[in-house]
Amino acid sequence: MKYFKKTLLILLLPLFAFAVAHKFYVSVTNISYAAKNDALQITSRVFIDDLDELLKERYAIEAKLSTTDESDLADQYLEKYIKTKFNVQINKEDKSYQIIGRKYDNDVCIFYLEIEAIDLPNVKSIQIRNEMLTDLFDEQQNVVHFKINDKKKSFVLIKSDTKGMLNL
Amino acid sequence: MTKITYYFTLTLFLFAATLVGQEETPKEKEPGHTNQSKFKQLYEEFATPNTYRSASGAPGPDYYQQQANYVMNIELDDKNHKIYGDETITYINNSPENLEFLWVQLDQNVREKDSKARLKNGDGVPLAYRASTFNGKFLNEPFDGGFVIEHVKDASGKALPYTINFTMMRIDLPQPLKSKEQISFSIKWNFNIPDHTVNRARSGYEEFADGNRAYVIAQFFPRMAVFNDVEGWQNHQFWGNGEFALTFGDYDVNITVPADHVLDATGTLQNRKEVYSKEMMKRYDQAKKSYDKPVIIVNQAEAEEASKGFSDEKKTWKFKAKNVRDYGFATSRRFIWDMQAVKVGNKDVMAVSLYPKEGNPLWEEYSTKAVALTLKSYSDHTFDYPYPKAISVHAKNQGMEYPMICWNYGRPNEDGTYSDRVKYGMISVIIHEVGHNFFPMIVNSDERQWGWMDEGLDTFMQYMAEQEFGEAFPEAIAPNNAYPSRRGAPSKIVPYMSGEQSTISPIMSNPENVYQLGPNAYGKPATALNILRETVMGRELFDHAFKTYANRWKFKHPTPEDFFRTMEDASAVDLDYYWRGWFYTTDYVDIGVKGLKKYYVSNEPSQALKDAVAKSGQNVADLPPLVHLIEEGSEDFDPKLKGKSPSENSKTLKEFMMDNMTAAERSAIKEPKYFYEVTYDKPGGIPMPLIVEYTYADGSTENITYPAEIWRKNDKEVSFVLSSQKELTGIVIDPKAETADIDTTNNAWPMKDQKTDFDQMKEKIKG
Repeated sequence: MKYFKKTLLILLLPLFAFAVAHKFYVSVTNISYAAKNDALQITSRVFIDDLDELLKERYAIEAKLSTTDESDLADQYLEKYIKTKFNVQINKEDKSYQIIGRKYDNDVCIFYLEIEAIDLPNVKSIQIRNEMLTDLFDEQQNVVHFKINDKKKSFVLIKSDTKGMLNL
Repeated sequence: MTKITYYFTLTLFLFAATLVGQEETPKEKEPGHTNQSKFKQLYEEFATPNTYRSASGAPGPDYYQQQANYVMNIELDDKNHKIYGDETITYINNSPENLEFLWVQLDQNVREKDSKARLKNGDGVPLAYRASTFNGKFLNEPFDGGFVIEHVKDASGKALPYTINFTMMRIDLPQPLKSKEQISFSIKWNFNIPDHTVNRARSGYEEFADGNRAYVIAQFFPRMAVFNDVEGWQNHQFWGNGEFALTFGDYDVNITVPADHVLDATGTLQNRKEVYSKEMMKRYDQAKKSYDKPVIIVNQAEAEEASKGFSDEKKTWKFKAKNVRDYGFATSRRFIWDMQAVKVGNKDVMAVSLYPKEGNPLWEEYSTKAVALTLKSYSDHTFDYPYPKAISVHAKNQGMEYPMICWNYGRPNEDGTYSDRVKYGMISVIIHEVGHNFFPMIVNSDERQWGWMDEGLDTFMQYMAEQEFGEAFPEAIAPNNAYPSRRGAPSKIVPYMSGEQSTISPIMSNPENVYQLGPNAYGKPATALNILRETVMGRELFDHAFKTYANRWKFKHPTPEDFFRTMEDASAVDLDYYWRGWFYTTDYVDIGVKGLKKYYVSNEPSQALKDAVAKSGQNVADLPPLVHLIEEGSEDFDPKLKGKSPSENSKTLKEFMMDNMTAAERSAIKEPKYFYEVTYDKPGGIPMPLIVEYTYADGSTENITYPAEIWRKNDKEVSFVLSSQKELTGIVIDPKAETADIDTTNNAWPMKDQKTDFDQMKEKIKG
């Protein structure tokens, strides 16, 4: 398994490179705990052009994200997509999250997800399944960082290994 | 007043130190260790200076470099998309050594049918393939794009023996080429031009629906490898990622293309009247005098008309270029062409754009504007742009640089609309690629070995130029207040530097061997230099040192050490810790406030002091008169100490003041009322200046930047004693986010309910 992971990472270097922006299929998700509403807060940074391509390939929508004529369907389908590809389990049970919203930062779209009242003292484990964009790109990597109070753990999730768990 | 504070802390510190020393229980002797200080000088990492390269970072008294001059006749076969060339290289051996063979680079062999580059990465069977990947991998014949070498001959026409190893060709000389001598030889070659929209090749053609092609042609001729004092022959193979190491020389190039093509290339056009129409000549003369906006040389209607021709006639364009390290050209029937003059120093430079109509309306609006701004901005920060022109060519998906010419992406939708992302992507890539004229075309570092030396420096310069573009053309970036740069600002590198360690590499890595070339060779070094300029050195010292580096090494071949040494040499800022942390490791920045204790001056020793004295077998009564500080809330704290001045609380202090000061001096003193010990910790590996904003009860703030050197004796933690008239109510580290601190949750005291990015989003959505 470990070997498999490594070879996939190496695969990320395309054969003929590009002198300006070497395309690296990656998203970065941060999972943290907010004490004031006992909430699990999740931010996920995904490249806008990858999302554009996804909406086109998967749902045949010309989304034109981050433009003045962004498709009205974009939100609905992105939400639908996230719900299928991103899952949270607490104590091995599925937990539904609320998609608070999203915003753009240069070429990246940031999604904000939240689960309130998780009752942290009784949380034994948090598991993330993140399959975002792995249906589109074989080489997609989804990096997940947990930081729950002082406990930190990071995962690089790939198509064949989409789950990461933090034990508390 | 400062004096007194100092006296307090000093006495207390000295005493505490000796007593604590006695308190320790004896333990087993620890083993020794080597010098692990982050502030250790980089003697082990740096090559030893010598007479070729000085310790100052300047070229040494024996510095030399080779020269390669080229005379080339090139012909493009548009119908079969093939290119033919016959070149004569005159190679001048300025080195002190005799050379028994020469190495010539055959970069196109990376694209030969059985290229080893296709095998450079291991793989495994994934859960599924995308159809296009599967097709490319298993169904298609690989493209045959390697060099066909027809012959290699010496000046008398006699064949020279040669051996090809992948992308390198060794030419064996009958007699060694002696030091200070030169040799001429010729190579005849041809190859199939690739479609650059497949595999994102750096050179090739794009074919349009009307059957026309636009060619952007580079690394297309056998080029001399670099021989120098650092690498000997730099004959590391071209695997696709590590770009080029090239020798300076003069070029005399004739390029033959279909008669209805237009063409532009590295160098000065020698036969303009033969290849331009009368109308084009007239417009060109206007463009030479137009400093504020471009003049169209070939307009869209003319390009569309030319696209119908497919002429069988040929035309030869003749160029000469002096002191360039490479050569490139672009040609098509479909190109629209515009130019304007730019004043650089006391010289005129032409800013030029070539684009098919697919680039409009974006390209006519912004390309030449971006070229002109880049020439001015980069010249201001380094040296006056020395070449006669700079050309930006529109090629789909491309961003690639050559002397005086580069290929850039940024294509509107078919209906002519475009997003901000496409627009800013296009302006940024033009600034970046035109900027590469400075690094590495003129400051000629070895890209094959050090991708960051040109990409990192160029991306740093790009950031400054983008910000200047925003200032120069506020209407072009509205409604933004500043140009939205993707890279350069400290916050932009945080996601990378806080990332999974197994996918990040030190900047000082070969570009073939890194996981994420973008942040590794572009974003991180650019940010490191930006922080160095804005926060560590300051603009004045940095700009002078950076300019010194550029001027010392223009038209020469610098190494990383030449850069690092020059930055210190010209500024007197010791940066070994900075280079080590940012360039030699994958460490990150994380500094926090660990804790704060409040103290009051007292006449009575603290319990801790009493315990320590008792333990050492002495008597409290034997202590000399001292000023004591008692921590608020500790067991020996007496609330009566509150609200009184130090001299009211401490007889010792009062007597000292009576004995040593006049009444006038005593009344002039404003005694501090509050004493604190603040502890900062540093979970991150990179030592950085500790930038602190202190807030007081009256709302006033005080900013103190402690130099990075505060971490030199303890890399983990440091404490300071503060005294003040006013009560301290808050501490914030790095309030302006200048240091790329990856975790800001520990940056404030009290651990206030910081409004996170998440909270702000929630507020915005819920209104």
